[in-house]
Amino acid sequence: MVKTMKLGPLLFAILIAVVSVSSCSRQDEMTPAEQKRHLEVVLRSQNGDYWKTVKMGAEVAAKEFDVTLDFRAPGDEADVKGQIALMEQSISSRPDAIVLAANDYKELSQVVEDANAFGIPVITIDSEVESRKAKSFIGANNYEAGQLAGKQLIKLAGTSGQIAIVSFKQGERNTELREQGLLDEIAQYPDVRVIDKVYSLTDRELAAQMTQNIVAKYPDLDGIVALNEISSIGVADAVQQLNLQDKIKIITFDSTSEELELLQEGVIQATIIQNPFSIGYLGVKNAVEAAKGKKVPSRVDTGIRAIDLTNMFWSDNQKLLFPFIK
Amino acid sequence: MDTLRVKSIQFTITMSFILITVVVMLVVSLVLYNKFSTTAEENAFLSTQQVIEQVQLNLENYIKGMADTFEVVDAKIAKSRGIPTDKLLEQLETIASTREDIVSINLFTADGGLVTGIHTTEMRKNTRLLEQSWFRSALDNPNHLTFSLPHIQNLFKDPYKWVVSMSKGVSIMQNGRWEDAVLLVDINFKTLDDVFRTVSLGKKGYVYIIDDSAGNIVYHPQQQLIYIGLKYENVEQALKFSYGKYMDVSEGEPRLNVVRTVNNIGWKIIGVSYLDEMMTTRKEVSTFMIWLLVIVLIFILLISSFMSARISKPIKRLKKSMEMVEKGHFDTYIHVRGADEVEQLSRRFNLMVSRVRELMDQSIHEQETKRKNELEVLQSQINPHFLYNTLNSVVRMVGNGKNEEVVTTITSLSKFFRISLSKGKNIITIGEEIEHIRNYLIIQKMRYKDKFDYDIEVDNEVLEYQTLKLILQPFVENALYHGIEYMVDEGHIHISASRQEERILFQIRDNGVGMSEETLKNILSGQVKSEKGSGVGLRNVNERIQLYFGPDYGVTVESELEEGTLVKIWIPAEKVQP
Repeated sequence: MVKTMKLGPLLFAILIAVVSVSSCSRQDEMTPAEQKRHLEVVLRSQNGDYWKTVKMGAEVAAKEFDVTLDFRAPGDEADVKGQIALMEQSISSRPDAIVLAANDYKELSQVVEDANAFGIPVITIDSEVESRKAKSFIGANNYEAGQLAGKQLIKLAGTSGQIAIVSFKQGERNTELREQGLLDEIAQYPDVRVIDKVYSLTDRELAAQMTQNIVAKYPDLDGIVALNEISSIGVADAVQQLNLQDKIKIITFDSTSEELELLQEGVIQATIIQNPFSIGYLGVKNAVEAAKGKKVPSRVDTGIRAIDLTNMFWSDNQKLLFPFIK
Repeated sequence: MDTLRVKSIQFTITMSFILITVVVMLVVSLVLYNKFSTTAEENAFLSTQQVIEQVQLNLENYIKGMADTFEVVDAKIAKSRGIPTDKLLEQLETIASTREDIVSINLFTADGGLVTGIHTTEMRKNTRLLEQSWFRSALDNPNHLTFSLPHIQNLFKDPYKWVVSMSKGVSIMQNGRWEDAVLLVDINFKTLDDVFRTVSLGKKGYVYIIDDSAGNIVYHPQQQLIYIGLKYENVEQALKFSYGKYMDVSEGEPRLNVVRTVNNIGWKIIGVSYLDEMMTTRKEVSTFMIWLLVIVLIFILLISSFMSARISKPIKRLKKSMEMVEKGHFDTYIHVRGADEVEQLSRRFNLMVSRVRELMDQSIHEQETKRKNELEVLQSQINPHFLYNTLNSVVRMVGNGKNEEVVTTITSLSKFFRISLSKGKNIITIGEEIEHIRNYLIIQKMRYKDKFDYDIEVDNEVLEYQTLKLILQPFVENALYHGIEYMVDEGHIHISASRQEERILFQIRDNGVGMSEETLKNILSGQVKSEKGSGVGLRNVNERIQLYFGPDYGVTVESELEEGTLVKIWIPAEKVQP
């Protein structure tokens, strides 16, 4: 009887010990499970304000959804092989998802399928890849962007005249779509003639040189449409140097501060902007969802907008055009 | 576990323990939890409020500092009457150099011409200066300092910067005339942005600023997201408050918003705290409570089953013992240890059982004695000696031709035996008992002739009362054989029966030789047995009376040598049951 009496406190002590030990071990087990998800973001280029803004958007999303990001990007947008190598590195780090802005529509599709084979979802942003294995595409509708550029051009240069197009690279999906949109838009005006089309690659000097050549060749040129950021600046530089800014209307793409200054100076008449911040933000957001195994929309259109001198300092546009704090 | 049978003490105790514990724990948990969550909410509100008030204070101080700087600039301009001398420029440079956050100081004419300024590069084209809000409001409200919303300053060939413009309409001397002018001081918005960005309200909470008049967002950490429509801020509701708090669920998650208005600048600071972050503590508490409940429940279950087993075990043993007793094992002895009550109970039970055993023994003994005594009495009735004597007398009487006496004797004898036997009954009426003794005396009288005389004195009242049969005859027999037989004179036997309150008293008195005190004592203790007579003695009668009627009744004997003997027999006065 005396023995059983002493059992009570003993039992209690054992109980407390067991419970506390079990609850501790349970917490220990939970920590690894709560480790942050890791995402790889492979961008088209290390350079350019556009990609900085994309990064900014991605980082905001990473903070909000509590994931870690690793950014990779080749030196310039023309470097397809380099980007494929970076994708392979990304895949070998076994991330929870990959966000990719592909430098080539066709050539990047193999690595996307490789990633998919490892069970890593790939979200494409800004530019598409041919593979159907990409979970989602987030970016502007480049065809519509081209159409919008065409509309601006017609508005500025009139329904007749000579037009030149400075594109990026043959076979590059985004610019091809923009070009197509532009040409389809201009086709409505038979008096507007596209007299030349050049490819500047990612080289503003080359773009400037080509512009000078075109102007020299066609002194009556009314307008130039530059289909990406780098060529835009090259074209504007050349036109400014030739002091033809009042004569030749320039329609550009994207909104680097250089472009914006040129826009205010009146060298560039209008620029078609995308929404790189939302592209970055939504890219990461959807990648997180995909990593969690949720269904993501196969296509998100982040919108385009035409900016000219009139609306560039509108309160709303300011916030979109000028990175908030630098 | 058959020990946990429904309705067993153990089950009841365990269940009550658990029930009480669960109820108490639940109530306590709920109360604590509520208290805790309200406190957590209040704390969150308080801390948010404190943070916001701190931001408000910092902002107001900052604005005030900037306004002061502006006043100094204004004073210098006024002093030089707006004429851009080198001295003025130098003074403005000095002022600007004291503050890093001043981007530029400029003086414009009402038509947008630059009079003077510092930190100034070449002006850009297409500035649309006259349309800019700070310029307009300065001209519209001269002598009133206005702060603009953060905007991009596009006046000069600097990299575009986000600034807040302080502007004021002033008068300057130009070409000998006073003219309206606008004084502009641009503050780098980064300074303010840094203030807001460092504000922390939990992991997800943040601060945003709106413009009081139109609800434009001045600062928001997720400005881009709001602009592209991925985030929504319930500005309309914030505008309703100048000082207060409200809950906002427009974003799906409940968020606590605390609003404060910054004086002089027309901005509102809104602190947003996520309720689910406060709930984390709440969730921790509830998890803790649930764990506690589980632990306590297990503990209580163990303790209570242990305790109840301890309590019910002795009771069960007691019960088993009682069942044994029930089955007739009166020698059962239990030694139960347990609660005090149970121990006492078992002790009492033991006492009770032993008492029952005693009583049973006693009763068996009494029954035996009764039977033995009755047998003795009956045997005494068919005492062959008495019968022989009587029949001898009868033969003698027949020889003498005394037929009448023979008839009397035989009749008496038959009556005597009829009453003796009384169909086996032990209880008869006093009338019958008197009839019996009368017949006996008649028979003895036949034998002893003139040796003795007798009389019987009975109250009619007592005739119907009951008595034990054959209680008089032994004494009459004694009186005859021991008292009167040896007398020289004629003996006399007096028999009476009367009611004395609740008792009946029989008296048998003789005037025989009596007894010595020692003999009397021996007779009463039953040590002397008469050799003559039936041998059924005084003791037999006394015992029988006491067995039937209890120790209050019985026989007393008084005797004196040569004087005689008086026997008193007491029995209860009770009518015969019909």
